[in-house]
Amino acid sequence: MSSLIINRSRSRSVLLWKTYGIKITSIISHSFTDSVSSSGFSSSDSTRSFKTTSSGFESGKISNLAFSRNSFVSTARTLSSEAVPVASTCDGLTVERIIANQWPILDENESDWKSHAAAIAQSIQVIKRRLQWKKLLVRLRMLSVELNKPHLWDDPTHAGKISREHGSLTGKMKGVMTFERELLEHIDMLKLAKEEKDSELESETMSALKEMRRVSKEKELEALLSAENDQCSCYIEVQAGAGGTESNDWAAMVMEMYKTWAQRRKFSVTVVDEMPGEMAGIKRATIKVNGEYAYGYAKAEVGVHRLVRISPFDSGKRRHTSFAAVAVIPILGDGSTRVQINDSDLRIERFRSGGAGGQHANTTDSAVRIIHIPTGITATCQNERSQHMNKASAMAVLQSRLDQLEMARQTAMNAQHTQSLTEISWGNQIRTYVLHPYRMVKDLRTNYEVSDPDSVLEGDLDGFILSFLSSSLDKGDDEH
Amino acid sequence: MIRSFRFTSLLSAAKPLRSFACSSSPAIEPPQCSSSSSISLRITHPKTPLFLRAPSHAAPLSEVWKWHGWAKDLASSVDDNSSPEDEDSLDSILLLRELKWLIEDSIEASDHHHPVIITGTETPRGDDGEKKSVKLRASLEELYDLWRQRIEKRRPFQYVVGCEHWRDLVLCVEEGVLIPRPETELVVDMVEEVVRGDEWFKRGVWADLGTGSGAIAIGVARVLGGCGRVIATDLSHVAIAVAGNNVRRYGLEGMVEVREGSWFEPLKDVEGKLVGLVSNPPYIPSDDIPGLQAEVGRHEPRLALDGGVDGTDSLLHLCDGASRMLTSGGFFAFETNGEKQSKMIVDYMTSNLKDSFSGVKIVSDFAGIGRFVTGFRL
Ligand SMILES: C[S@@+](CC[C@H](N)C(=O)[O-])C[C@H]1O[C@@H](n2cnc3c(N)ncnc32)[C@H](O)[C@@H]1O
Repeated sequence: MSSLIINRSRSRSVLLWKTYGIKITSIISHSFTDSVSSSGFSSSDSTRSFKTTSSGFESGKISNLAFSRNSFVSTARTLSSEAVPVASTCDGLTVERIIANQWPILDENESDWKSHAAAIAQSIQVIKRRLQWKKLLVRLRMLSVELNKPHLWDDPTHAGKISREHGSLTGKMKGVMTFERELLEHIDMLKLAKEEKDSELESETMSALKEMRRVSKEKELEALLSAENDQCSCYIEVQAGAGGTESNDWAAMVMEMYKTWAQRRKFSVTVVDEMPGEMAGIKRATIKVNGEYAYGYAKAEVGVHRLVRISPFDSGKRRHTSFAAVAVIPILGDGSTRVQINDSDLRIERFRSGGAGGQHANTTDSAVRIIHIPTGITATCQNERSQHMNKASAMAVLQSRLDQLEMARQTAMNAQHTQSLTEISWGNQIRTYVLHPYRMVKDLRTNYEVSDPDSVLEGDLDGFILSFLSSSLDKGDDEH
Repeated sequence: MIRSFRFTSLLSAAKPLRSFACSSSPAIEPPQCSSSSSISLRITHPKTPLFLRAPSHAAPLSEVWKWHGWAKDLASSVDDNSSPEDEDSLDSILLLRELKWLIEDSIEASDHHHPVIITGTETPRGDDGEKKSVKLRASLEELYDLWRQRIEKRRPFQYVVGCEHWRDLVLCVEEGVLIPRPETELVVDMVEEVVRGDEWFKRGVWADLGTGSGAIAIGVARVLGGCGRVIATDLSHVAIAVAGNNVRRYGLEGMVEVREGSWFEPLKDVEGKLVGLVSNPPYIPSDDIPGLQAEVGRHEPRLALDGGVDGTDSLLHLCDGASRMLTSGGFFAFETNGEKQSKMIVDYMTSNLKDSFSGVKIVSDFAGIGRFVTGFRL
């Protein structure tokens, strides 16, 4: 057994030697940990099959993906400044050639290396597209130039930002390249095994390819959440449309949907602000969703959600249409540059106060509202148990709102998901939930639809979210 | 239950008769004295708030759900039973929030049934509720009783759970001690600002007079960091016990010293030496006491509220004392009943005591009411 291992590692090094003309043993171990680390794949509750036109999902089941942020590990940061070498096997096979060969992709359980290789190569292509590969490389080169400027650290905030982005992009790039190289190594290894008639090595390599094929599906999904701030926690805000009780009730249902969705994803949820409707439901509410990639997922929900049903509030049992608007705000990490707020620009008010206050009043209500005078942006929090904590929590919301405003201003891209509640136009409907006369939930952006509204309202949203994320990234086909 | 005495002697209330909890504000107005037999001759052990009790009770999830449903209905029904004109009525939205907190404090969180599951909209599925059991820090009967007290007796929520969240602190409170108010949090903010401006304030001795639960004293001690010292005084035996307990809970025994006695009486050793003096003394005019909100008037100690005829008895006494107690440059902040009292106090300090203080000003609370008077000893 041990001799076999030695034998195999020797042949791997030899292969690497042949492939690159250099011996890079550290990368071997690296690529191994890469493929192993993201194996927390638990396919659980949601087994609805994914009907969408985008590539890559046909065979997949939407599952609770355990994203391990470190699965693309970055170590060196200088690599990007050089031209990216194209990896190939000993006999010159590259990922692009594999795709060009159009080898048929068979079932995973078929021991056909060409089929595995074709499937993996296709995934790599999808991943690159989702990472906006060419743009990424260009950006990386720009950042490297910037990093090498002599006086960079004179402005530590700027320098920090540059080097963080550089680190993160390098990580992504290296992750893909390592994966690519790993594929080609396995192919070399497999050919070698065949030549040497080492059947044990052959079958091990085959199963390694099969494992890579599985991991590559995960990486495809991971690549959906690779935009800046995707891994942040976030606030989700819901506001009822016109129509009083009817819409207030709908807004409350939407909020409940997000709460259960977040809980299923093991995000923690806290209600920050809630303005109840007069009769039922909510006029408006803000929850904080804490956890990795909360923003990356939730941003797919931004827009107007429309409900058609027989109103439980209408004694005439007529059909009603109600609207609720959803906004999502990322909570930037400590590393990011955040908008500087001057105390003198703030007005802090006790919310819903009245009467003499002080010793006269005993109330558990200590809500505050903070107004940022220059922008008019406000934040309210009322669910903490002390005024001090309500203030801190409202400050955090205000900070994130101002950060978002600044991001929208800076990028000027005004992507839909950076819109605040006030900016979302009621015309911007993204999804319809019909409870009567038939039952269906349909996303108007992707045409993804489901015939069981109850499950959706109980938080089974991942199908909608992933199809939207993939369609919005995959349609930029000009990349790659 | 609570009687007012006329007390003509200038007897210092240093060691008041044990059967009385006395407030003596010398000179200005006849001080009131509240007698409360329950306090007499009792060695006070502070009560343990719900959230600190051991989860030694268990109940089936379904029974807890039943209780929660009952409690919710009771909370929602208050709207039907009160007329909108009635100023002193309960608000069901606030009650529902309190109910959530009551659950947080009394149910042990665990993986399968986080308190949220019980408060959430989820209804019991199948026979889940029968089988699962929930660990409680109070028996279900007690929880029924506590919620009834909250709504029917108007017992303040903070006494029901035995604690008040104040700033970033959780302070134990119980009958006999004023529940610290949100407005008062700002006293600590003001101290923080002064301390930030000048390190000198960190190294000296501060005093919090009429400390009640110890709220301001503990808040100030934490702002001072390791090196400062705070002396917290109160005339109420219960307050002394509760404040001492809260100080211990925050591990501040080395920084905060709790002393029993009337206003400056226990501070003779630091006369003229204080770098800071803060207080939220009783300031409600006596005539307003009968009309107070039920939670306050029926349950909180009169000694903590009644400020004499116009409410300024204690405040004026504190102003006089401040000139004696503070060292040059020392800071003071007093909470008042609002605009009118604040103006009176400022007038008093800038006329009668004009040679003692500088920078005397009114600071508003978050409701925009001129709530505090602050300044410096010349
Ligand atoms: C309005 S409460 C303030 C309690 C606490 N500082 C707070 O802000 O929550 C007033 C406090 O003054 C105390 N008090 C009343 N008369 C007093 C006196 N003569 N000497 C010392 N303390 C007194 C009461 O017992 C009560 O605790």
